[in-house]
Order: sequence, then structure tokens, then C-alpha cells
Amino acid sequence: MHTTNQSIIVSGGSRGLGLHLGQQFLAAGNRVATFARSRTPAMDDLAAQYGDAFHFAALDAVDAVGVGKFVADVARKFGAIDSLVNNAAIGQDQLLMHTDPATIQNIVNVNVIGPTILSRAVIKRMILQGGGNICNISSICGSRGYAGLSVYAGSKGYLDAMMRALAREVGEAGIFVNSVAPGFFESEMSSVLLPEQLATIRRRTPSGQLSNDANIFNVVDLVISGTTNMQGQVVYVDGGITI
Amino acid sequence: MKDRHKTMDRVAILAVMNSVLAKRGRAAISDEAQTTRAANFRSLDFSETALRIEMQIDRELAFDAASMRRIATVKDVIDFFETATRAP
Repeated sequence: MHTTNQSIIVSGGSRGLGLHLGQQFLAAGNRVATFARSRTPAMDDLAAQYGDAFHFAALDAVDAVGVGKFVADVARKFGAIDSLVNNAAIGQDQLLMHTDPATIQNIVNVNVIGPTILSRAVIKRMILQGGGNICNISSICGSRGYAGLSVYAGSKGYLDAMMRALAREVGEAGIFVNSVAPGFFESEMSSVLLPEQLATIRRRTPSGQLSNDANIFNVVDLVISGTTNMQGQVVYVDGGITI
Repeated sequence: MKDRHKTMDRVAILAVMNSVLAKRGRAAISDEAQTTRAANFRSLDFSETALRIEMQIDRELAFDAASMRRIATVKDVIDFFETATRAP
């Protein structure tokens, strides 16, 4: 473990990768705050297990006022916000021509608007604190082309581009901004792939295996540890499929 | 309910600017006529000053980068925030 005794916001922490990140950071002695549209039993479990070291709010990621209040509440409860992990996202499995506008809007809202307004609110706190770490959970789709993922890919490319701009904007204030870009990993999002598709991905991956939550956590843990001097970078966790 | 009419006077604004400089270990501003460069007051210092003022007046200040580019002296910074905090 590299990150301990930090106050960390993980967006979309009620399930999937976000839940795993939150659980691991809590187990390592950090304080974790997260939000999602609705409370899940896993949130009740973490609240029971970690008490005041855990904070959950039912919140829509595009509710700017609600996000601002959430960030203020976390800062008040934990005393500071050391790191932000922009994890919340929704996937896509449709060719663009078959994707209805409402779905496009929803992906843009959750994957683009959400992390933008959350980053904005957190950066204000970090500037006043004198530093912090922001880690976007991006994707190899942000820099490589995959059919059926156009809007999702665009949103991840946006995250990487915003990350680089923010690294320039706030780096001098001691805020480190980076992205971790998983390849296809064992998740709810990849569960829609057929066994033959997964076999093809494994065959094309030099490591021969999909990444998993633990692989991604290990890299995020390092990125937000404040020990690397890494700034404005995308770190690929993909078994080498993009090389 | 937020008080939308909180303002800050020039002395208070200068105090905020100096507190930001002090946090960075830099000297306090000696003269409003100084250029921001001479005062070692950088763009991020401007942003942090804005955030601290926002906290004091309990509302966000909205301004674009173009209006910031016209700022050359410490006096310009203070004028800018004095006007911004007066805006409805």
C-alpha cells in the first residue's frame, strides 16, 4: 500500500471498480467518501464497518449544487480532501448510428459533465489546502478505436485531455492530475462481451490476461500516493494490448 | 439563505492577497503601483485570492480569462476584486 491516512473521494463507489477502490482504501487506513444515485447494501456495510471514516451521499453526478454540497460536507467531515478518483462512468455497447440521443446525452452527462463539475469543486478545496491528487479512471478507448464504443471513447478521450490541461492549470499549486486507463477488464462492462470476444482480447494481449480490479487499484494507489512526481500522464493498465 | 450583498473593501482584499503570498513564503506587497510580476503575484495566486474572497462573501465570482489578462498591477487586482464583489 502506498496511500494511507488520506481523505479520498471516489465517485461511483457503490459498486464495481469504484466499490473495490473504496474498500481497499478504507482497509489501508484512509477515509473515503463516495456518492451514487442510490444507496446500495454495500454502502451500509462500509458505514457499519468503518463508521466516521466512510461517507456516502445519494447524489446525481450532474447536480452541480448537490456536488458542491457533497464536497463541502466531505471537507468538513474529514478536515481536508487529499485525493479525488473520478471513477463514475457508464458504458456503451452500440454502434453510434443505433444509439439514441437520450443515451448519448446520458453518457456525456455521467462520463463528462459529472467528473468535470466534481473536479472543479474539489480543485477549489485543494488550492486552498495547498495540494492534492486527482486520478481519472480513463480507458484505452480514449486513445484507441473500438467499434461500438464511440461515445464512451469520446468521453474517455475528454477525460485525458482535461487531465492534461488541469495538470498545467493547477500543477504549480501542488495538485497532481493523472489518468489510469484500464484495458478490457473483468467488470460489469466487459460482461456484455461474448466468450469468443474475450478469447480474442486475451489472445491479442501480451500478458494473456485481462486486468482486474486489484491490478487497477494497485496503480491508482500509487498514482494518488503523492510519492511519484508524476504529472499529466495516462498510465495504461491493459496487459500491453495497446503497444 | 446567502447574503448576496456582502462586499470587501480594498484593505481586506489586499490582506487576502498578502495572506496568499505569505503562504507561498513570498514578501508582502509594498505598493499598489507594483506590477503583479514585481510583486511576485502569479496567476494561481490570483485564483487562490478569488477562492478566499468567495469564501468570505459566500458566493462565487464569475470572470473570464480575458478580463484577467488586462491586469498589470496590484492596483488592477484590487480594483478587479472590488468591482467583482460589488456585482449583483
